[in-house]
Amino acid sequence: MAPLLEIKDLHASVGDTPILKGIDLIINTGEIHAIMGPNGSGKSTMSYVLAGRDGYEVTGGDILMNGESLLEMEADERARAGMFLAFQYPVELPGVGGMSFLRAAVNARRIDAGEKEVDQLEFVKMVRAKAKHLNINDDMLKRAVNVGFSGGEKKRYEILQMALLEPALSVLDETDSGLDVDALKVVSEGVNLLRDPQRSMLVITHYQRLLNHIVPDYVHILAGGKIRRSGGKELALEVEESGYAGINDAA
Amino acid sequence: MPASMMQHSLDGVMGLTGVRAGAQRRWQKTGWPDHRAEQWRFTRLSGLQKVDLRFAESAAITAENQEFSAAMPDNAAFLSFSNGVFDQASLDNLPKGVKASLLDGDEATLLALSELVPQSHPISDLSLAAMTSGIHLEISGAVEIPIVLAFTGDDNSLSAHPVVSIKINDGASVVISEWHRSNVGLSAPLMAIEVGKKARLDYAKVQQDSAASTHLSATGLKLGDDSIFDGFQISVGGKLARLETHITLAGENADCTLSAIYLGRSSQHHDITTNMNHLKGHCLSNQVIRGVLDDKARGVFQGKVHVAPDAQKTDGQQMSRVLLLSRKAEADAKPELEIYADDVLCAHGATIGELDETQLFYLASRGIDGQTARGMLISAFLDDAIDSIKHDGLSAMLRPITTAWMTAVDLNSDGEL
Ligand SMILES: Nc1ncnc2c1ncn2[C@@H]1O[C@H](COP(=O)(O)OP(=O)(O)OP(=O)(O)O)[C@@H](O)[C@H]1O
Ligand SMILES: [Mg+2]
Repeated sequence: MAPLLEIKDLHASVGDTPILKGIDLIINTGEIHAIMGPNGSGKSTMSYVLAGRDGYEVTGGDILMNGESLLEMEADERARAGMFLAFQYPVELPGVGGMSFLRAAVNARRIDAGEKEVDQLEFVKMVRAKAKHLNINDDMLKRAVNVGFSGGEKKRYEILQMALLEPALSVLDETDSGLDVDALKVVSEGVNLLRDPQRSMLVITHYQRLLNHIVPDYVHILAGGKIRRSGGKELALEVEESGYAGINDAA
Repeated sequence: MPASMMQHSLDGVMGLTGVRAGAQRRWQKTGWPDHRAEQWRFTRLSGLQKVDLRFAESAAITAENQEFSAAMPDNAAFLSFSNGVFDQASLDNLPKGVKASLLDGDEATLLALSELVPQSHPISDLSLAAMTSGIHLEISGAVEIPIVLAFTGDDNSLSAHPVVSIKINDGASVVISEWHRSNVGLSAPLMAIEVGKKARLDYAKVQQDSAASTHLSATGLKLGDDSIFDGFQISVGGKLARLETHITLAGENADCTLSAIYLGRSSQHHDITTNMNHLKGHCLSNQVIRGVLDDKARGVFQGKVHVAPDAQKTDGQQMSRVLLLSRKAEADAKPELEIYADDVLCAHGATIGELDETQLFYLASRGIDGQTARGMLISAFLDDAIDSIKHDGLSAMLRPITTAWMTAVDLNSDGEL
């Protein structure tokens, strides 16, 4: 069986600037991979390239999901095919009601899968139940998407969306940054609830701390647009102690 | 007069007397404004068809009209105009508190009307002189049923000049919607509305004329002490449309809202022109203008707020925002503040922008397709204006129009045609 995600010698540029310079990575179904790396090393760029953001141009290599290339697919098609990106900086949508946004997202996927659209009342119940686990109250659910949310609230709202969409592959870009200790626990528990032999995750973080809660199968170090080292969860501890100094760009 | 466009010499209109004869003389002297007229700099009439438009003489209620009526709120009282001619049978529909009469020969009402409508305005003169039908409505007490002035038409060799005068007596209240769905060469309604002391008017104008029509309207309003005018305009139809409204806040403590939305695509041209004239103190005026332009459409907003020396404690707000969905679309905004009082709170602003790429990507990353995503962001953008409408029935009537516009054809995604 093909791996869930296979990144092959991926090169990508933003504008004319090459940022990703040959990334190879295989994520099998059910695995959790963590990516660490210095600021500006290309982590968010990689997450956008995976999600299919316009302006992030793949100049070489390929990305396969379940054996099929994603490169010709638009961002919304990739999402409906099971890709989810929890943004490092979630986007505010003034005037777009939270509940109708969540419902549009869930329905988009359902319609694509040939399923019935969600029943409105049932949907409200489902959202409330999942929101409760993430300490998201009704007031937040009623507001416009991300508008007036604190940094930590925005991150929790990302995880709520992930819980509703049940993606096959979730890319979490620094979901832990800006969270206080308690919120970190809440978010990690939310993520762990979604841990499933059928689902995989790519967790981008600067802190080993998150990986205590969401224990990864593999850790990769991204620097200068390439994966410089890969290992088990102990690699995160090593980075925590000695920084990225030991990781040679030319390695 | 420039002879290049629709020939309305009015030579064929004979035997006018009084106010209408005066309007005819003024029209014959000035005619259509040309490009040198400052007020018509952004909306040029020289491109209009050169056909010789005729005036309709009697109302023909077509099948299309009935279909149209079916689309309207069913608890409303309809006053129907077809090709600019009033259908007198619709007088049977009037609710309690509304008295209607014909303007023909009512010199006193015509005179009052001519003083309320925009002055030195081609439509004020032309439509008064060429008036295809004129009615006067007098409103007393609280009218419970909304009144719909329904304008239809099915002959684009015709020029429609309906004239409506409305007097809302002191303390009265009414909901009026002016709904245009004509297919005529020129639709040129002239309206004069007087809102008495402590009276209230909730008002919505919908311009959905056919794609071949030109819509040029002139509306004049006068607001009395403690009156409330909650007005809204939406312009979606027509090839070229200019909705011009002049409001005089003639009493103290009047509360006036005049918001507007225009939605343009292909090579449509929409113009919203307003003139808010604060004569007395302690009045409030608020204008929320939103435009969305796709393809090669053009949009114009000209908004003048004038505050007279006596109009202390005026609060005049005006904000125009336009979304361009295509690189070939174009918008002009000309806000003007003229303030002669020293203790006032006035602000205006105008922005022109595009849909936010980051917001679109966020929606896409949740599986929402581009068309739906753009629709969600445009709706959110328009809601600012629709939310300014206080009457629930009117906002419920308007929302489907914006939704229909968004789902009618593909909204441009990349700005290319
Ligand atoms: N739109 C852009 N135009 C030009 N350069 C960009 C653009 N977006 C990102 N970059 C550059 O690409 C590089 C990688 O940025 P990226 O955001 O992927 O880093 P990161 O690893 O996520 O960093 P951080 O840990 O700070 O979040 C940086 O040098 C950044 O300046
Ligand atoms: Mg980043």
